[in-house]
Amino acid sequence: MRVGVFICHCGNNIAGTVDVAKVAEETRKIPGVAYATTYMYTCSEPGQEEIKEAIKREKLDRIVVAACSPRMHELTFRRTIEKAGLNRYFFEMANIREHVSWIGENRELNTKKAIEAVRMAVAKVMQNKPLYSSSFKINKRVLVIGGGVAGMQAALDCADGGLEVVLVEKSPSVGGMMARLDKTFPTVDCSICILGPKMVDVAQHEKIKLYAFSEIEDIKGYVGNYQIKIKKKATYVDWSKCTGCGACMEKCPSKNAYDAFNFGVAPTRAINIPFPQAIPKKAKIDPKYCRQFTKGKCGVCAKICPTKAINYEMVDEIVTEEVGAIIVATGYSLIDMEKLPEYGGGKYPDVISGIQYERLLNASGPTAGHIVRPSDHEEPKTIVFVSCAGSRDKSIGIPYCSNFCCMYIAKQAILTKDHIPDSQSYVFYMDIRSPGKGYDEFTRRAQEEYGVHYIRGRVSRIYPKGKKMVVRGADTLLGTQVEIEADLVVLGTAVVANSDAAHMAEKLHISYDTSGFYVESHPKLRPVETNTSGVFLAGACQGPKDIPASVGQGSAAASKVQALFSKDMLESDPAIARVNINTCVGCLKCVSTCPFQAIKDKELKDGRVVADVIETVCAGCGVCTSTCPCGAIQLQHFTDNQLLAEVNALCQM
Amino acid sequence: MPDVALQQELRIIGFLCNWCSYGGADTAGVSRFKQPTDLRIIRVPCSGRVDPLFVVKALLNGADGVLVSGCHPRDCHYSDGNFYARRRLEMLKRLLPFLGIDDRRFHYTWVSASEGARWQETVTNFTKRLHELGPLQLKKEVSS
Amino acid sequence: MSIEALKETIGKVLKDVDVVIAYKEGFDALHSTPHFITSPEQIDKMIWNPLCVHNLTTYLPSMKNKKVGVVVKGCDSRTIIQFIQEGLIERGKVVVIGIPCKGVISVAKVLKAIDHKPIENISFSDNGDITITSEGEKKVLSLNDVSPDKCTTCQYPTPLIYDHLIGEEIKTEKPAESVYGDIREFEKLSLEERLKYWQGEFDRCIRCYACRNACPMCVCQDSCIAETRDPHWISQRLNLTEKFMFHMIHALHLAGRCVECGECERVCPMGIPVNKLKRKINLDMKELFDYEPGVKLDEKPPMFVFNVEEAKIKEHKI
Repeated sequence: MRVGVFICHCGNNIAGTVDVAKVAEETRKIPGVAYATTYMYTCSEPGQEEIKEAIKREKLDRIVVAACSPRMHELTFRRTIEKAGLNRYFFEMANIREHVSWIGENRELNTKKAIEAVRMAVAKVMQNKPLYSSSFKINKRVLVIGGGVAGMQAALDCADGGLEVVLVEKSPSVGGMMARLDKTFPTVDCSICILGPKMVDVAQHEKIKLYAFSEIEDIKGYVGNYQIKIKKKATYVDWSKCTGCGACMEKCPSKNAYDAFNFGVAPTRAINIPFPQAIPKKAKIDPKYCRQFTKGKCGVCAKICPTKAINYEMVDEIVTEEVGAIIVATGYSLIDMEKLPEYGGGKYPDVISGIQYERLLNASGPTAGHIVRPSDHEEPKTIVFVSCAGSRDKSIGIPYCSNFCCMYIAKQAILTKDHIPDSQSYVFYMDIRSPGKGYDEFTRRAQEEYGVHYIRGRVSRIYPKGKKMVVRGADTLLGTQVEIEADLVVLGTAVVANSDAAHMAEKLHISYDTSGFYVESHPKLRPVETNTSGVFLAGACQGPKDIPASVGQGSAAASKVQALFSKDMLESDPAIARVNINTCVGCLKCVSTCPFQAIKDKELKDGRVVADVIETVCAGCGVCTSTCPCGAIQLQHFTDNQLLAEVNALCQM
Repeated sequence: MPDVALQQELRIIGFLCNWCSYGGADTAGVSRFKQPTDLRIIRVPCSGRVDPLFVVKALLNGADGVLVSGCHPRDCHYSDGNFYARRRLEMLKRLLPFLGIDDRRFHYTWVSASEGARWQETVTNFTKRLHELGPLQLKKEVSS
Repeated sequence: MSIEALKETIGKVLKDVDVVIAYKEGFDALHSTPHFITSPEQIDKMIWNPLCVHNLTTYLPSMKNKKVGVVVKGCDSRTIIQFIQEGLIERGKVVVIGIPCKGVISVAKVLKAIDHKPIENISFSDNGDITITSEGEKKVLSLNDVSPDKCTTCQYPTPLIYDHLIGEEIKTEKPAESVYGDIREFEKLSLEERLKYWQGEFDRCIRCYACRNACPMCVCQDSCIAETRDPHWISQRLNLTEKFMFHMIHALHLAGRCVECGECERVCPMGIPVNKLKRKINLDMKELFDYEPGVKLDEKPPMFVFNVEEAKIKEHKI
C-alpha cells in the first residue's frame, strides 16, 4: 500500500497557525505513507494536477488530503483521484482547517493536532475498499407541496419543461397568501390580476395533476423513486359534479362559519367557495358549522344543488403517487395576534393584522374594498401601522426580520390615502428595510407624496379610549414619547413557520431551524437544495420572503429538478450497508431498527435465513451496523474496522 | 482556555455525525470560535452508527474522555438514528460508573450544523471537565 | 409435583413433536445433563430434581426447523418469552412443559460445603433438605444454603409461559427489591474500588468463552466478534485490556436482553461474576424504560425501539 498525503497551506488559513512542513515531515514517518508534500492551494487546478501527477509518478494507491472540511471538498478530490485512475473511495480528508487552524491558538498544539488528524486519516484510508455505484432508473415525475406562488411557479416551470407534476395544496384553492393580497409593492398592481392567470394555467396544464384540499400523509423512498401517500380530505361535495355556481353558498342557512381565506375579517357560509377566482372553483362544506353535521338535519344545499353534488357521507381518501423529486413550497404563517397582548391583538376589534387589512382593501374582499373599522363599520380617518409586531423580538423567540412588512406597510399606507383622501397614516418602525429594486423609492413616495408620517420607535402599548385606540410609543429620533389617537391600528405581524412545518420536515427527512424554517444545503451556494437528495425548497418555507424572491426560488427549484431529471439513470451512493452472508446469523435485529425498512430477510439455498439490504432504499446511516451483534452487516466506508482503525490510531499515539 | 492549553493535552475522542454536529464543528471553525486543542474528531454518518463499544474501546485503550454528538432529536438526517443513539448511549453512561469509570468522562449531546457557538461551548466545557478529572490511563492500569 | 405426571405429559407431547428436551443423570451423582427424547422408551431415563440446573431453552433457536418440546423452570421460561420477543423462535413450533420450581443447587456451593470430596449419593426431601453421601459419610444440607444467587431472590418460580404445567403454581415470597440488592450494594463502593474489583475479576478470565457459549441469548454463535478479524474488535492477546473488552462486548450485546438465567456464571471455570454487569444494565432498563427481559410476550427489547420523547432520559449538561 502506497499512501500519498497532500497537506494544504490554504494560503495562510492553515499555514498561519499550523506548521505544515512539520506535518509533512511527521507524516512521512507513518508506515504505509510513500509520499507527503505541502501545497499552497490543493483544491486549485494546479493543486489537483499535482495530486494526479504524484499518483502516477509515485505509484500511489491511496490518497489523503489534509485541508478543509470534507463537507467542503471531499467530492472535489474524489473526482481528482478518479481521473488519475484510482477508485474514488481510496480517499480521505483530514480536516485541519475548520477543526484545527481556525479554532486553536497555539501553533505547536495545532501542529500536533494536525499530525494526528493526518495519522487518523491514513489509518482509515488504509482500511478503505473500492466501492462502485450502481445506477437506477429515475421516475421523472415531480411532487410540488404547496400551491402558493412559489409552488405554482415551480409546478408550471417543471410542466412547461415536459415533466409530469403532482401539485398538492392543503387549502381548497391554490393561490396561497398572494391570492389574498390587494395590490403588490412596489408597482401597486392588482395581485390577483397577475396571479389569476397563473392559477388558471395550473388548473389547465395537461402535465399538472392538482390535488386541492389534500395533505401529504406519508413519504417513502429516495431520490428518483418516491412513493407519496396523499390524503384527499373530505369536502362533502363531489367535485366531479360541482360546477362552482355558488347556489349552495347563497342559500346556506349557517352564516357564521369562520372564513380562513379572509382571516376571519367577516364570517362565511358553512358551504362555501373561498373566493371568486378560486382554482379549482368548487364548494366545500365545513362540518364544524354545517347544520347537517352539528344538528343532524338541514340538507338545504343538497336540495338546491343543480348537479346533486352534495354528499354528506364523504370520507377522507388516500391516494398514492410515485415521483422522483419533491419541491417543498409550503409557505408561512403569521404570528397569532394574541401573542402580542401589549398591542391588544385579539382583544380589541380595531387592532387588526396587515393581512386582515389587505382583505379590507381588496375589492373582492368582505367589505368590497371599503375600509371600515371592524367595531362599528365607520370609515377610519387616523390609521396607525406598527411594524415589527413580533419580529426582531428575542423575548418571544422571533429574533429575525420578517422581510416584507416594511414594504407592504408602505403600500397599505399609500392605498389608504387613495381610498380615504382625508385620512392620515402613521407608521411606527424600527428601521425601514427596503433593499429591493425600486423598494426604497417606494417607501420614500409613501412619505413624500402621500404624507405618511413615519415615526422611528417601538410601540409600547395600545389601549382603547372611547371610540379611539391610543397608540403609545417612543419617537427615538426626537427622544420623546408620542401618543396617537387612532381609529384603526394595523399590526405588521411577524412571519412564522407553519405550525406543522416540523412534522412535514420529519416526513421529508429534511432539517429545520429553531424557528421551524427549512434549512437549505448551503446558505449561499445551494439555496434551494436540502441535505436530502431529491428534495428542494422554494419560497417562504425556507424563511420569510417576498413575491419576487419566492417566484425566483420556485423557478430555481424547478431548474434543479430539470437538471436532476436530465439523465435517465441515477448513480447510487455505494456507501451503504452490506451483509456478509457467511457470518450473518439471521437474528434480523437490523431489520427491526432500520429507519428505512431497507433490510429484508432472505432465505439462502441451504435454508439459512440472512439479512438482505435493498440497495436503492438504504440511506447509509449505519444503525444496522451498530445493531448487529456479530458485525455481519457493515456500512461501507464506515465499517467497524475503518472506525476502529481511527480509534486505534489515536489511542496508540 | 489558555490555562487548559498550558497543561499536558489529554486524549479526547469525538464521534460526530456528518450532517449536524460535524457541520456544527465546521461552523464553529468558519466563525473562528476558539477551542481547546485536545479533541480529535471521527466523522460518522449518524450518531446511530456509534456502537457504545467504540466508546468502551476508546476508554479502555487510552482515551481520557469520549464525546458523541448528533443531530437534535427529531432532526436526524436519517430520521430515527439519534433516537437509537440516545437509548444506547444513556445505557452506557449509566454502566460506566458501575465499572469504576467516572461517567463524566463520557458525554453525549446534540449540536446542529448551525450551532457553532454551542459546539464551542461543548468542546470547551468538556475539555475543561476532563482536565479537572485528569488523565484516565486505563490502558496502563489495565494492561499492567 | 410427581415425576410420573411429568413423564406422562412428555409421552403425550412426544407424539406431536420431533424431540422433547428434558434432564437425565450426568457423569456423577452431582450432575444432571440434557436429555433429548425422540422415542417413548427414552422417557424413563429422565429425571427431575434440584440438580436440573441447565437452561434447556438454549437449544431452541438452533432447532428452528424442528418442532420441539422443552422442560422449563420459572427462570428458564423467561428465555422463551425473550426469544419470541426477538423473533428467534416461533411460538407454534415449541411445546413448553413448565414446572413450578422451589430452587436448584449450585454445584460450586455444594462442593464447597463438602470440601470438594467425591460424592457417592445425593437425595432430596420435600422440606428442602439435601442428604449427601461422601466417602461413606452422610451430610445434610439445606437447599437454601446451596442454591445459586438467582434462586435466593427468584421472582418467577412458576413459568411465565407454558402449554402444560406440571404441579401446583408456586408464588414467590421473596421481595422484589431483593433482586438487585447486590447491585445497589456494589454501587456504594467508590469508583476506584469498583474498577479494582472488575480488574481483579476480569484478570482471571482465560477467554474460554464458556459464558458466551452457555448464554441462550448469545445469538452469534460462531460469528462472535470476540474471535473475528472482520470486524476486528479485539486481538487474541491475553492481556487485561482485551479481557475487559471481551466482557464489555458480552454485556453490551446482552443489554436489555439478559433474562438472568445465570448460565454464564454457572459455567465460568474461574468463578467470575459474569452476570453482574448484565443485571446492572437490566436494573437501568427497568428504571429507564420499565422493561424487564423475558416477562411479557408483547414487549420489544428496549435497545431496538425508541420513543420520540423519552420520559426518563434527561439531557446531560457539562
